[in-house]
Amino acid sequence: MRGDDRLTRGRGRYTADLHVDGCLEAAFVRSPVPHADLLGIDTTAARDMPGVAAVLTADDLTDVGDVPTMFGTDDSPPWRPLAADRVRHEGEAVAMVVADDRYRAEDAAAAVRLDLRRRPGHAAPGRAGRTDRLYPDHDDLALEKEFGPPVADATWTNAHIVIDSRYRQQLLAPTSLEARAILVEPGALLTVHCSHQYPHGLRTGIAGAFGLAEDDVRVIVPDAGGAFGSKSPTYPEYLAVVAAARRLQRPVRWIEDRTEALTSASRGRGQDQHVRLAADADGRILAIDLQVDADIGAHPLGAALPGQTALAASEAYAVGEVHATFRSWFTTTAPTYAYRGAGRPEAAYAVERAVDELAAALHLDPAELRRRNFVREFPYDTPTGRRYDSGDYAACLDRCLELLEPDRWRGARERPTGVGIACYVERSGGEPGILEEYGSVTVDPSGFTARVGTSSTGQPHHTVFAQLVADRLGVPADTVDLVEGDTGEVPEGHGTFASRSTQMGGAALAGAADALVDEARAQAADRWGLTADDVAWDKGVLRAGTRELPVAELAPLHAEHRFTSPPAFPYGSYGAVVEIDPELGAVHLLRLVAVDDYGTVLDHTATHGQTLGSIAQGLGQVLIEGVVLDDEGATVMPDGLLDYLLPTAAEMPRDLRVDETAVPAPDNPLGVKGAGEAGCIGVPPAVVNAVADAIRPLGGDPARLRMPLTPQVVWEALGGERSDGEGRG
Amino acid sequence: MELDVNGARHEVTAEPRRALADVLRDDLGLTGTHLGCEHGVCGTCTVLLDGEPVRSCLVLAVQAVGHEVRTVEGLAEDDPLPGAFAEHHALQCGFCTPGFLMLLRGALDEDPTVVDDDGRLDALLASNLCRCTGYEGIRNAAKVAAPREH
Repeated sequence: MRGDDRLTRGRGRYTADLHVDGCLEAAFVRSPVPHADLLGIDTTAARDMPGVAAVLTADDLTDVGDVPTMFGTDDSPPWRPLAADRVRHEGEAVAMVVADDRYRAEDAAAAVRLDLRRRPGHAAPGRAGRTDRLYPDHDDLALEKEFGPPVADATWTNAHIVIDSRYRQQLLAPTSLEARAILVEPGALLTVHCSHQYPHGLRTGIAGAFGLAEDDVRVIVPDAGGAFGSKSPTYPEYLAVVAAARRLQRPVRWIEDRTEALTSASRGRGQDQHVRLAADADGRILAIDLQVDADIGAHPLGAALPGQTALAASEAYAVGEVHATFRSWFTTTAPTYAYRGAGRPEAAYAVERAVDELAAALHLDPAELRRRNFVREFPYDTPTGRRYDSGDYAACLDRCLELLEPDRWRGARERPTGVGIACYVERSGGEPGILEEYGSVTVDPSGFTARVGTSSTGQPHHTVFAQLVADRLGVPADTVDLVEGDTGEVPEGHGTFASRSTQMGGAALAGAADALVDEARAQAADRWGLTADDVAWDKGVLRAGTRELPVAELAPLHAEHRFTSPPAFPYGSYGAVVEIDPELGAVHLLRLVAVDDYGTVLDHTATHGQTLGSIAQGLGQVLIEGVVLDDEGATVMPDGLLDYLLPTAAEMPRDLRVDETAVPAPDNPLGVKGAGEAGCIGVPPAVVNAVADAIRPLGGDPARLRMPLTPQVVWEALGGERSDGEGRG
Repeated sequence: MELDVNGARHEVTAEPRRALADVLRDDLGLTGTHLGCEHGVCGTCTVLLDGEPVRSCLVLAVQAVGHEVRTVEGLAEDDPLPGAFAEHHALQCGFCTPGFLMLLRGALDEDPTVVDDDGRLDALLASNLCRCTGYEGIRNAAKVAAPREH
């Protein structure tokens, strides 16, 4: 991929690698407790320490606007860059030290004294046990929404069977290996270098908070070390760093450390789920009801995100009655926000676990039960308001089963073995407001420059998009340069998330390339006294009869395209084979199968990489990952990444079978659907369904399975007695 | 202090508490060594100390005096690992890549047969974390970059 030659030789330029003369370092003083009144901050000692340029608290930032929420509520309570009067989650920033060196900044941060009066904390969503609301003027129920008409009482009472299950989506730490990072250079043009998914959004956020015109702020995303959904907001720390740089008239940077990332940065998932299915005796699903209670943290950064789960409640099934509600609860924890999948893994888990329980209760083959219920005609309008664009869900499942070979494993091994499948439908491209993207192509004497409003945090946009534009123009890829992730170079854009970059940005670039060809033909026609219809574009050369003109001679030539479309609905079928050690509860993954439909695929290497990476993150959620909190919301992870476990090479199954089907997206000129999130959606329910399959014959209770499937969890589901308390995740 | 990094000697003045990674990055400008966790778990900061992979976030710069330090910038021009990583899509965001390259360079120099056994290779690669690739490309790149005859 383009850029790999730099990145494999140590010549990457991530935000922390940028050298700016005179740059100061910021370190934050953070709340050590989940909830407290902040009675005072004593910065006297810190200010006098060597190398310290400034110590800022909320009182110094009164002229800075509130932190913008991304998916907030209509009446979000004010969120200050540094907490004033009250801290509402562990790790909330209350003061910032700026010094000439990171070590000295941290020395001084450690010398700041906080006067805190503890308040009770609440880590769990829901009303139970609450004695103290987080905001005096706001109920702890931050947001509540309903999708689809309620299921009729008669449907439940007349159904042959009702499955009633509760699941927990544990909090996950996104954990890009590069944590958050920002470097701000003050001046008439405020220049912000930031590891970010949405540079234009960050520009808007900063401009808004400081009363600047957007043109007075330039956001540049250098090499970015992963994001996975977590790097799209305008975080409070970013506003504090901007404020310090403007106040001191010096460049200031903040490079988040891992302890901060694990205790104070945004997290993903975080839902208590209650799902009910009604079905007839043949396994036809008559109704789905999904209720989500989400712990959204202390600030409503992602309060509306559980709507993604509710909207997806139909999953792959044509079900007449589907009703979904979510309630987002303030909790004294770091904000819950987007993490790869952002609402869709949660929905797929709830529905696919329950569908499997239905199959088990009816003694039906789980694949056959799914086939009986699949959506088969498109477009399909779900009761919760989605319009599925296209697909052949049964073909995808069939391919999955071919690769999984479910019958091969029954009774074939000494230890208990289970086979599980899961199907999902997700939404890619985004929601109204970001279902548009900007692309342009410019010709100058040196070649073509494509500009697009997406922003790579590790995705090979430079390779895929340059090739796309080159193919469209019929020119070699090495004559096309791609520019993105710089608001000074790209006038508008919506960044990279929601698996939208190729679907939206790629389509915008294709449109821009087509517009460039049209414009070149028109200009050549003018020159030659012809009409555009008389002029042909031939691999970068304009021809009419014997006349020819290389497009570079028309330079500068520029064409733009703004692409809009409805979202697309990628889907997939996943399968897992597990072996259980009944003595220890350990789960061994014998085979994992992923068959996804991303529509038309432009670059199979790139999508394969996305699939594998997302599978690894799905394995993380189902097997080992989970933020551990006490009941009040304090993290119980004293040893960092030794407590918050990420998948290593040793966790990746050796027998991993990945394939694709390809039903083109009808609403996309390239036929493309998003490909970034599939694996983490399909893997968790497939693996848990496999473990459930393994423990049922042993008398185990699948209802006791919860993620992550630690040996203790599985052992307990097999009837082992719980011996100690564990925090909630 | 005097540090021997990538075959060159560097005079550095640094507090005794400074980590080797910070001195490499900030004092010597060798920013190819990345910091992912600063508590010795992720392996992103892996460098070679006398040929052996170490976490440069857990080594003080003063402890490196008298030893040969090698960073990703010091990989030989004809080292097959960088090309193999690119060829096998063993990187996406690239942040962990220098750590994996140095882990593998040290391991392959020590014993190239480590790639012949899946279990041994995974145990080695499990030293470091990658959040993007799912490791398949890294496994494949390691195998291809190992010397043919061993």
